[in-house]
Amino acid sequence: MKGLADIYATLFRTEAAVQLQYRAALVIWLIGLVVQPVVYLVVWLTVAKAQGGQVGGFASGDLAAYYIALMVINHLTFTWIMFEFEYRVRSGSFSPLLLQPLHPIHTDITVNIAYKVLTSVITLPAALLLAWLFEPRFNLHPWSLAALVPALLLAFALRFLVEWCLALSAFWTTRVGALNQFYFAALLFLSGRMAPLELMPGWVQTLAALLPFRWMLAFPVELAMGRLNPEQTAQGLAVQGLWVGASLGLMALVWRRGLRQYGAVGA
Amino acid sequence: MNAAVEVQQLHKTYEVPVREGGVKAALKSLVRRQVRTVEAVKSIDFAVAPGEVIGFLGPNGAGKTTTLKMLSGLLHPTGGQVRVLGFEPFARQRVFLRQITLVMGNRNQLVWDIPVVDSFERNRAIYRLGRQEFRDTLDELVSLLDLGELLQKPVRNLSLGERMKCEVAAALLHRPGILFLDEPTIGLDVTMQRRIRAFIAEYNRRYHATVLLTSHYMADVEALCRRVVIIHHGQLLFNGELADLVQRFSPHKTIVVDLDREEQDLTAYGEVVGREGARVTLRVPKADTARVTARLLSEVPVVDLTVEDPQIEDVIEQVFSQDAA
Amino acid sequence: MNYLRLFWVFVRLGVLNELAYRANFYIQCLQSLMSLGIGLAGIAVVFAHTPALGGWQPAELVALLGVYQLMGGLIGALIQPSMERFMEDVRRGTLDFTLTKPADAQVLVSMGEVRVWKLVDVGLGLTVLAAALLQLGMALGASQALGFGLTLLAGAAIVYSFWLILATLSFWFVRVENILIIFQGVYEAGRWPVGMYPRWLQVGLTALVPVAFAVTVPAEAVVGRLSREMLGLAFGLALGLLGGSRWFWRCGVKRYSGASA
Repeated sequence: MKGLADIYATLFRTEAAVQLQYRAALVIWLIGLVVQPVVYLVVWLTVAKAQGGQVGGFASGDLAAYYIALMVINHLTFTWIMFEFEYRVRSGSFSPLLLQPLHPIHTDITVNIAYKVLTSVITLPAALLLAWLFEPRFNLHPWSLAALVPALLLAFALRFLVEWCLALSAFWTTRVGALNQFYFAALLFLSGRMAPLELMPGWVQTLAALLPFRWMLAFPVELAMGRLNPEQTAQGLAVQGLWVGASLGLMALVWRRGLRQYGAVGA
Repeated sequence: MNAAVEVQQLHKTYEVPVREGGVKAALKSLVRRQVRTVEAVKSIDFAVAPGEVIGFLGPNGAGKTTTLKMLSGLLHPTGGQVRVLGFEPFARQRVFLRQITLVMGNRNQLVWDIPVVDSFERNRAIYRLGRQEFRDTLDELVSLLDLGELLQKPVRNLSLGERMKCEVAAALLHRPGILFLDEPTIGLDVTMQRRIRAFIAEYNRRYHATVLLTSHYMADVEALCRRVVIIHHGQLLFNGELADLVQRFSPHKTIVVDLDREEQDLTAYGEVVGREGARVTLRVPKADTARVTARLLSEVPVVDLTVEDPQIEDVIEQVFSQDAA
Repeated sequence: MNYLRLFWVFVRLGVLNELAYRANFYIQCLQSLMSLGIGLAGIAVVFAHTPALGGWQPAELVALLGVYQLMGGLIGALIQPSMERFMEDVRRGTLDFTLTKPADAQVLVSMGEVRVWKLVDVGLGLTVLAAALLQLGMALGASQALGFGLTLLAGAAIVYSFWLILATLSFWFVRVENILIIFQGVYEAGRWPVGMYPRWLQVGLTALVPVAFAVTVPAEAVVGRLSREMLGLAFGLALGLLGGSRWFWRCGVKRYSGASA
């Protein structure tokens, strides 16, 4: 364990140094992350205004809170690992990683975290700016803030594992293929990025709860807004835990298969 | 004594999509996919003793790199058995990975944008090396490869030769017992090639590391390897000492004669393999060398005469052409 | 006329290139259909809660979606790949090959690479547009069609000039390849009518990243919401930007010197 901590610390340092060299790129990537929630926020605010101030139990203050929390939490939990893998397999730069006595997932985790730490310098002020522009209304309690920490960690772990598995599809097809496309579409609707799940038709909500999507994003966002009671929160955390466990199993399986596939074709 | 590397009937095939050019064929391929099976390695056997330096020779596409990749666990053999230090490489056990290293001439493991020493530090962490042992190894490598000034420079600012030296150093930080070197001197200038060769020889001498080297530069092989394995079209054509290779496939010597004028016809003395103005190159069987030389010196107006061993390249070419026959 | 033939050559090259990867065709179809599906589903969800959005009817929004997809296809098929290729060439110093050819460099650079499969988006967008117009019960009158064509052309010209200006920056700052991602991130905002956004965002989407002119304005033309002034503005802006970007391009080329290995 101590060895792993040392590895993480060193890899983190290295990655942060590398990413700082591409400062402009870091900022530019963020633009997409920020624009999308703002767009949907405005759409729903317009709907709310047309309907006399609120839509489906969300007043404008609630909508603003939802989307700002969404932006921050999405930033904290997102990955771009499928593009990275596509590049790795295509350029053959995956081989050196396979020769190291370290599971490649650790490198990817540190790259991801390093990026988020560095870019928080921008997203947090951006969130504050949006808060000033849109006047969100949060309903916070000390216990919900405390529960937010494990909720975020579990959401990150879940999303990372699932997207890492999907990224491994690069071993089979060399394009960020159909599978990833489906995933992104599902993510948009079922994780609450397009609209709060409560505004979606019933069957969508059920689907989102049965699949991991709600637990990746919508759940921590609702928690951050203060829209959940303690019972729902505890249940949610438990479901998150179960999903993380399931995806660990999935990851191990897909990784083994993926290695076999890579070993058949190589690069 | 246990062999460091044991390979039996190793076999590797790929499936490659095949298509002709032109728009019509391209459209057809949208619907129906055609594949062709390529046999990269066709049942080869060999063993390497610990501490040996062995060279793999063969033209491009012969299967050398594929074999190395199977030995290091990157590729899974289609058939046959591979054992490196008793491990099955493809299982990629940590213990195994810590004892090997693969250096590929055209791929880097160094991180591009940061100083070399930071990449080294990264390897230290990944291979879980103790700080003191890491320091010691690093100091040795720095002095052997003369890396002193390079350590603080970002990798992207290094020349190709400097980068190669650093790649080799990075690959050896964990003192592996087996080195797989895939074309390590490719693209380097002559001085740097000599440098790297000298380093590999010294490393082998000091640490008794087993070295498997692929190259198509004869100079690499001649300088470092007593034993060579020749691979062509995925098959093993020769496995033995370099000296034996020359003996078996080319028991000739080359006589280069400089005459004082052009038109001499020397076919009576031996096989004329080259003629450049007043210089004629003859190939004669080894046994006849002394006799032919004596005759030339007495019967022909010779200005200068040299007796040479055949170029190993020529020998290898002979091996390949024999295989094709 | 020579340039037309040249364009045809590039297109053919693009086709051959793309056909080499058959998976790309299917993936592109899938991507386009999914993008469309997402757009339609989004509209459906919104209109489950309200009869009109910012004064726009559902079918009008579908028409907007069609224009969004159509313009996206044009950008993705020609403008984007060519500009990306151009910036790559500057970075590697291989622009020399283009500059020494006996044709206008800007034209060559602008059709440097054609991704033919992206035209699937154009086809799909037009289909959606037609369906929306049918739904609205609108026949496309001559003046409306003309307005649409003109604003579409103007929109494309404006986007092209915008990309060209950004790409030309690579003559000065070599590592700007990511700058083009800005457009892609912001283009998403074009799915909805720009008039709906708060003032500050509208300004950004008009003056900074010309999404408004790319999507909303032609859509307004199609559904008959376009004002004369807007048409004139779009056209004038297109011409102005075309000229401006060309001037900037010229400056850049003068500064250019092949990167040494």
